[in-house]
Amino acid sequence: MNRTLRKLFRKGAPNPVHLNAFIEKTDFPLVDGSDVTFVYRGHADAVFLRCWIAGLDTAQPFQSLSGTDLWATTIELPKGSRIEYKFEVIANGERKLILDPLNDVVAHDPFGANSVCQGYGYERPVWTLPIDEARKGSIETVRVDSSAFKEAREVQVYVPARFRKNRRYALLIVHDGADYLNFAALQTVLDNLIHALEIPQLIVALTQSPDRLREYAGDQRHAKFLAEELLPFLSQKYPLIDEPRARCIMGASFGGVASLHAAWSFPGLFGNLLLQSGSFAFSDIGRHQRGPVFDPVVRFMNDFREQPGSPAERIYISCGIYESLIYENRSLVPQLQAQQIDIRFEEARDAHNWENWRDRLRNGLSWLYPGPLWLVYE
Amino acid sequence: MTSAPPVRLLLGPQRPTRNIAESIEAAGLANGSFATISAGWQEAENDIDDLREIVTRPLLDLRLYARAEEVFQADENLAAMYRARQNRLKAQQRLYRLRLRHLAMAARQTIRADGDAVMVAAEKRHAIAQLRALDRHHLQRTGSIHRPFIEQFNVDSSPLLAQHHREIGEIIDECGAVLITGGNIVVLLNRMLLFGVDRLLADRHIVAWSAGAMVLTERIVLFHDRGPQGRRDSEVLGAGCGLIPGCIFFPDAEHRLREGERSRIELMFRRFSPDTCVTLDSGAALQFAGSEVATVNEVGRLNRDGGIGKLRAA
Repeated sequence: MNRTLRKLFRKGAPNPVHLNAFIEKTDFPLVDGSDVTFVYRGHADAVFLRCWIAGLDTAQPFQSLSGTDLWATTIELPKGSRIEYKFEVIANGERKLILDPLNDVVAHDPFGANSVCQGYGYERPVWTLPIDEARKGSIETVRVDSSAFKEAREVQVYVPARFRKNRRYALLIVHDGADYLNFAALQTVLDNLIHALEIPQLIVALTQSPDRLREYAGDQRHAKFLAEELLPFLSQKYPLIDEPRARCIMGASFGGVASLHAAWSFPGLFGNLLLQSGSFAFSDIGRHQRGPVFDPVVRFMNDFREQPGSPAERIYISCGIYESLIYENRSLVPQLQAQQIDIRFEEARDAHNWENWRDRLRNGLSWLYPGPLWLVYE
Repeated sequence: MTSAPPVRLLLGPQRPTRNIAESIEAAGLANGSFATISAGWQEAENDIDDLREIVTRPLLDLRLYARAEEVFQADENLAAMYRARQNRLKAQQRLYRLRLRHLAMAARQTIRADGDAVMVAAEKRHAIAQLRALDRHHLQRTGSIHRPFIEQFNVDSSPLLAQHHREIGEIIDECGAVLITGGNIVVLLNRMLLFGVDRLLADRHIVAWSAGAMVLTERIVLFHDRGPQGRRDSEVLGAGCGLIPGCIFFPDAEHRLREGERSRIELMFRRFSPDTCVTLDSGAALQFAGSEVATVNEVGRLNRDGGIGKLRAA
């Protein structure tokens, strides 16, 4: 049993008043070095921890703590880890997936929210939080006619504070741009890193697909849209540096696949890629096990692995070690290195989620686009 | 014009310790206005109100950044050539960095190598000599990129630049000294050179901090061990104005330099020798009278043994 709980139960089961006071003054989950204890309070027939971590059981059972309505389970979480989870509570024949009622730390994503366990040694990076002194960039919406998609697409464009028409800017194209803004604090991160001179002022195109599982899965229409429609449109409208080294495509999960696919389809056009937890599924032999939505991804990745070519000059790749895609991402690294591509690969004690991708933005962006910090001596 | 050797007063960053007023006082600079160069602040160049309060002397803003913007607007050819030169300089710096990365790594590993002392010492000398040769080559290459531009656009041949040069000279003549702030070293250097300000400073009292001090040397070295990507090998940027020979300045070294890493410090000492590598932290003040160090307060220097010692007056 966890140290804090042991203390609580030292003289037997605590009475409800004592228990209420304990709950009130304690932060949950209980983090004791690398042991993390999750606590649920309430009537239930069974409780499970659901945390979708590759390597751990999908559902970790809680134990009822005798004489109380407390339930607890402990897992080992290495230093610096961060995981997202829910509780599965079975009561009166009903099964409910809920946020941890005792933990206020929550992460949001397009599907809802999860509770967050910040393990020993994890701290949310300060540069992901708003800083008063950092000037805020603005976001405008443009419409780009697309013959590839046979319709116009709306794209949000981040324009840095102090933007000037007579300057030239590097470009970053972001897949799932609205999600990056909403769930990975991208605008705050851009404002802060630009303010800290860690990245240069950038023009950032935030794309959002109405059918990402199809269009991001190695779809030639999407690659054509980025390379032959969006890029010329942006070059016309904004003062961009007209060189591959000043162009970067970025994305997470299927967005990572779309980024790699577009750069691979138009070699020499994009100098940089920022790929986060890319869904780079492939098959060495036989059929892959990831379901039909991955079929086009696997077709593309198998083609790519056969003939990787040189999709970009510099590629930053990150992946959580608690996600099953770590295998595919690790596999990609030596293959790209063999193509003489400059690679930076980062593994994080996190899983397939937006805050993992948020926490890696500084390393990725400042490596691909180093800011003027180096030149400024105040 | 000043008759005694001009004072060069060099300071560390003015945050958190603001020692500019007391240092000016201690240097005995006569009362009078200061011509101010804050082009390193770029668009914020004219935000010098705060500075007026600290310096407690009238400040006349030389507006080098704004002047350059005006010149670029007025002369498209000059602007295009200037941009082309900057692009070439950036490309040159990238090529230099490619080579530097491998040579510097080899030199660091050789410095730490075990084995026969005589054998290691010979390899160490050679590894450092290769680095020094690369730095020299880069300095020569950047000079050759600057040269055609300067030959075409200078204050003697361009009436537009000549007019600004004249105006700047007149303001400087009105003032007792010139004040150069920190900021972006490339922008600061380029704007000073564009208007031939380096020529106007030769016999002037100068007070400068951080990038302002760096720009006065013969060789500007960029450094930062604590950026978001961690350690980075220091790089020669190119030649400065050359008004303070024999020194390379490292402002805010306590934050930017990993001072405890002796092999890195030793390498920098040997790489840039015979120049003295001088650290200027916040609160530091170093005063030259002519080419002699006159007074020193809280100024460090990189040592051969990889440590950082105190710089002492001659």
